[in-house]
Amino acid sequence: MLDRISFLFGEAMVALRRNGNMAYAAISTVAISLFLIGGLGYLYLRASAYANTIPGKFEMRVILKQGTDNKGIQDAIATIRAIPGVAAVTWIPKDKAWAKEQKDNPELTKGLDNPYPDAFKVTIKDLGSGDEVAGKIQSLATVDPAEGVKYLKDEQRLIDELLRLLKWLGGAVGGLLFATAGVLIYNAIRLTVVSRRLEIRIMQLVGASRFTIHVPFIIEGIVQGTVGGFVATLMIAGGNHILGRFIGGLSNHSTLPDFPFTPLLAILCLTGAVYGMLCSELAIRTPLKYR
Amino acid sequence: MTSEGKTPYIEYRDVQVEYPGHVRGLRGVSLTIARGEFAFFIGKTGAGKSTMLKLLTREARLTAGSVVLNGREIGNLRESEVPGLRREMGIVPQDFALLPRKKVWENVAYAMRAVGHTRKEVRKRVPDILDLVSIAHRADAYPHQLSGGEQQRVAIARALINNPPLLLADEPTGNLDPEHSWEIMEVLKRLNQRGATVLVASHDMMVIHRMTSRIITLDEGMVSSDEGGESAGSD
Repeated sequence: MLDRISFLFGEAMVALRRNGNMAYAAISTVAISLFLIGGLGYLYLRASAYANTIPGKFEMRVILKQGTDNKGIQDAIATIRAIPGVAAVTWIPKDKAWAKEQKDNPELTKGLDNPYPDAFKVTIKDLGSGDEVAGKIQSLATVDPAEGVKYLKDEQRLIDELLRLLKWLGGAVGGLLFATAGVLIYNAIRLTVVSRRLEIRIMQLVGASRFTIHVPFIIEGIVQGTVGGFVATLMIAGGNHILGRFIGGLSNHSTLPDFPFTPLLAILCLTGAVYGMLCSELAIRTPLKYR
Repeated sequence: MTSEGKTPYIEYRDVQVEYPGHVRGLRGVSLTIARGEFAFFIGKTGAGKSTMLKLLTREARLTAGSVVLNGREIGNLRESEVPGLRREMGIVPQDFALLPRKKVWENVAYAMRAVGHTRKEVRKRVPDILDLVSIAHRADAYPHQLSGGEQQRVAIARALINNPPLLLADEPTGNLDPEHSWEIMEVLKRLNQRGATVLVASHDMMVIHRMTSRIITLDEGMVSSDEGGESAGSD
């Protein structure tokens, strides 16, 4: 049994060596595509999780015009609640805000009249709709025209664009490269078949089983896919490390969770192996027919 | 000696073969070959002699008729059954098909490993096989260091790894000079004397007539003559 396995693996290694450049191209393309699909998917989830930890990230403060009456306030609440993307609206009465200020800074506020206007705390459902919601609120007649809507606009935009970029890269470019990787594995195996046609012919002449003839090529595809998955995991680990440092620079309180190296390695290597196996099986189906 | 009076080992029954493009390979060939016979298929290029062998190896498919080997109809075998069929015969191709980067013994060993023999079995059997075709003294040579006749003997050695009762050789002397051609025929004759049925497709008339074996002449896909010879094979 071991003797048989060693022969089959030996044949696969000969095939890999003989088409080193093509194998290298296939492995690197698998790695890049898995990095983009799996890796950026992972980074997307992590970045998204981080985004959820930023305090007030989903909140905006709406300042009303001085002297807005109760009816105007109630109308504004109803209008804002009806805006798509708004999760909740909380009224912060000016008296309460001033009372809190007086409690926090009694010396500074002593003898002053309440300068605060009425305000709302508006919670939005997702970061992507922030600008649109803010624009609609700003256009309300009861909202202060100068400093009506305040929120972490730049931070939100940055995170939102980052997430969108990750999603786009992972989906579109990764998908395209994954298909390209498949074609490269297919071509690499086809080239191996051509370069080993004499061995194949000899095997067919002496009656080697289909299994014996096919398996080295399948192993070759699996090796290419698995190595690609391994390299992709290393790239993702590197990306995660860089993201961790970036986030650490943004906030002292935010850190990334532990990187799940082993599960990710297993998933990507398995994905690469299965993909490599399928592509190689497709590549040898016709040329290795017994003739 | 013809197949008359012997147990039919191979039977071609009204065999027709048509290649793609309506090219007719064989047109209703019927004949039998007995176990242990040594027979030549001769004829012009395109007469159908190689097709007669390819039907047995299943490199060619029947259009009509049937081919029976050792009592088994082989025209309808599934692709998965072809390896088993090939292990019952030894095939000697015209172009030797030797691996250039492997030594003589490695060429034979590679084929043995491919059909599932262990390293131990290979070590034990390869010297005997090489000895059988008188090439043991060149075991460590590479194919390019061998003469055409020696290369063909290596190809025959490889065909013997399954200890086959049937040996098929397609133009085994096609690339050889008369002296080496005769050497190869001597090797095949020796194997026939050991009991193997040997079928050879050839147009090397000089060698064929020296062999005194059965000669089946094909012309445009049909048997035009079938002359008996003296088979040394056992029955």
